[in-house]
Amino acid sequence: MLIDTSAYIGAWPFGHLPARSAAELGRHLRSHGIARALVSHLGAVFAPDPMPANRTLFAETRRRPALVPVPILNPALAVWSEHLDECCRLAPALRAVRIAPGYHDFQLDSLRVSALCAALQERRVRLIVNVRFVDLRLDYFALKIQSAGESALHDFLRAHPRLQPLLSGLTLAELRTLQRLGGRFVADIPFVEWLYSIESLVAQGAQTRLMFGSQTPFFVTQANIAKLESALIPASARHAIGWRNAARFFSLPGA
Amino acid sequence: MRVIDLHTHPIFLRAGRRRADVDRLVAESRARGVVRMVVLGDVLVHGRTPDAGQIARINDETARVVRMHPDFFLGFCYLNPLLGARAVEREVERCVAGYDFRGLKLELANNALHPSMTPVMRLAARLSLPVLQHTWRTRPGPERRQQSDPEDTVALARRFPGVQVIMAHLTACGYRGVLEAKGVDNLVIDTSAAFPEAEILEYAVAQLGAERVVYGSDLPIREPAVTLGRVLGSRLTAAERRLILHDNAQRLLRLSPPC
Ligand SMILES: [Zn+2]
Repeated sequence: MLIDTSAYIGAWPFGHLPARSAAELGRHLRSHGIARALVSHLGAVFAPDPMPANRTLFAETRRRPALVPVPILNPALAVWSEHLDECCRLAPALRAVRIAPGYHDFQLDSLRVSALCAALQERRVRLIVNVRFVDLRLDYFALKIQSAGESALHDFLRAHPRLQPLLSGLTLAELRTLQRLGGRFVADIPFVEWLYSIESLVAQGAQTRLMFGSQTPFFVTQANIAKLESALIPASARHAIGWRNAARFFSLPGA
Repeated sequence: MRVIDLHTHPIFLRAGRRRADVDRLVAESRARGVVRMVVLGDVLVHGRTPDAGQIARINDETARVVRMHPDFFLGFCYLNPLLGARAVEREVERCVAGYDFRGLKLELANNALHPSMTPVMRLAARLSLPVLQHTWRTRPGPERRQQSDPEDTVALARRFPGVQVIMAHLTACGYRGVLEAKGVDNLVIDTSAAFPEAEILEYAVAQLGAERVVYGSDLPIREPAVTLGRVLGSRLTAAERRLILHDNAQRLLRLSPPC
């Protein structure tokens, strides 16, 4: 069994990636043995207002319990709290919200981000911070997007010691640095890569903070499944990373 | 499933040197279906422009790895073309005659169109050695003096049609790199490096044919399970997969088919 913490519907403007509907994504993930996925709509990343894409996400996932909708909010917008209210109305059991520094015009140390973090903690909704969606070295040549750096992430974790966000898209080096610096966070695995990466992280006790993510549709879905399956780690660690950590962290019913 | 991994660095920045490390890599690779592995050397351990002594030590280290499992590993001779025609020739002859190396590896000393490449390519033609060129999409500017854009590597292959060129790093070459390679039959692209981006492998096969793509992992920078998973998880036919994972490399390295 696998729970996927990083899967997306909708179109990405660069490359020739499949732009799936929720129904198509659900079928695709099921065919790979992924029982459940946290899903966001890529249309919310580049649009000036993320809500049309978020509304589509909620509508398409409403009758699909395998797909857990995670709206992408933009704290740079003055109306972010109204957007959060609407998301909570559309999905009364909202599990998480994503933000995308680097893609939206805000800094992690801004007042609005702090207010968003407080509002999420009050509502018991988890925060996912997308450090990157793609390998920025190979992004469309005219784009100048920068990922949130290690020090900005570390400062953010220190400023919100009880938040424990999911940092999505960390590389192995970034993950190791943030672990060394301390701070409460969990992380997904799609951008974690080096020979024996999962094995070495588990040996250092990181199995409680890692979660499986396929990064569909950016990556070949099978690739990160194979990464987890091939790692020489105890079965308990494989289950923890594969689904148990995510089930507990996001309080997913029936998992 | 039989796999030839055409792009590896079992020793990278000095890590992986111990016999136990190499033995584990071989055992796990074999379990995954890998039957042969090309060792390109610890190419960045002395920076981008190693001197002749450093080049020789890197190639000696490659030979040491190959000797541990000669039925599994094949060595490529790492070169710095900027050291000049005589130094290049001496090193290639030493490694081919002494170590039975099967190809040449070029990294980031110079762009593929630098004049110092001419003696390298003539040597490759004379000895029938394939040339594996590190390639990464690179805008015009200072970096391009050392790093080859797909446009440069493809131009090199066009200039020397008698040499088999392996353009490294499909994902980093990108869609533009795939299109550059159209119609250049002495050039194949390897699947090594970068994250397992969806769809680009299918695109390369559709544009170039599965005969023009070869599997490489770039381990240890990449996880072999991921690099294999990206091929196995792509929408390719079984025959296309077999060409990419094994048959193309077997032909290119002139390995005899298994009995
Ligand atoms: Zn390499």
